[in-house]
Amino acid sequence: MHEMSIATHLVECILAAAAENDVARIEEVEVEVGAMRLVVPEALEMAFEAARAGTIAAGAALKVVEVAPVARCRPCGRTFHPADGEFLCPDCGQADADIVEGNDIRLTSMVCCTEEEAGERQP
Amino acid sequence: MKIDVVKNVLEASESLAGANRERLAAAGVVSINLMSAPGSGKTTLLQKTICALGPQSRSAVLVGDLQTSRDAERLAGLGAQVIQINTGSGCHLSPTQVARGLDGLALRELQFLFIENVGNMVCPAAFDLGEQLRVVLLSSPEGDDKVAKYPTLFQGADAILLTKMDLIELLGFSVSRVQEDLAKINTHAPLIRLSAQTGEGMDPWLAWLRGRRDEL
Repeated sequence: MHEMSIATHLVECILAAAAENDVARIEEVEVEVGAMRLVVPEALEMAFEAARAGTIAAGAALKVVEVAPVARCRPCGRTFHPADGEFLCPDCGQADADIVEGNDIRLTSMVCCTEEEAGERQP
Repeated sequence: MKIDVVKNVLEASESLAGANRERLAAAGVVSINLMSAPGSGKTTLLQKTICALGPQSRSAVLVGDLQTSRDAERLAGLGAQVIQINTGSGCHLSPTQVARGLDGLALRELQFLFIENVGNMVCPAAFDLGEQLRVVLLSSPEGDDKVAKYPTLFQGADAILLTKMDLIELLGFSVSRVQEDLAKINTHAPLIRLSAQTGEGMDPWLAWLRGRRDEL
């Protein structure tokens, strides 16, 4: 359940981005999750629900976009897409690769309400 | 209103890991993140390793567990600096916990720092602590199918230790099955067969450790 620590970092991140953009409420959050981080999207959603409570993101929906890993073979330099938990280079047949994509967790966008919009929606 | 932001969610964690790495490199310490399932023999291996390296090697251990200081007690009195980290409900060590641990160690006096992660084959693999090297243990009672089942952990390993080798015949553990799986996942890390009970494999393991020290 390392999803909880990721969700805690995510909430810190969205609140910081909201503060920079004069946001009153965060309604939707989109995050890209690299496959090498071993995140279970449902577990991240649950953890996010807990971590966002009591903040301006309290009602926010979370969209998790999974990013497949990309590896670069150290011996021959070939870039390839590992699949099914195997990291075999299709050229040289070695399994000695650096992961060049699929390690990151990126906040990509947020749907928000500004103070003004929030005010207009009040009855 | 949609805001496009591209932010690395784990930036704080990653920059702290980077700072740990710089601190350890500046002090000339070989740092090793030991990862495995619970009960695969990390602490026993460290007991034997610290004794075998001898007092002149100046080792330290940061040992992570959810609760208790039992591992720190087992490692006390061997001549190494030992700090127990209790993670509470945390399923892996974090760079913050390691940074606090480093604060409590006399880094300049050290040659080796062993970070014994929380026993878990999933979560620790996803978090860089700032270590220089990753060593993964697989003990024979866990079964010979674990490399393929937890590929991410093994893919990132710099060395893989097969522990409790004295039990393999009793358990029907197939080393060749492990080798076949590793051929598709990690051909870079040496596979060292070890038994802390019989002492098998301690020499190549210590030679590997000293080799990393010489490279520094």
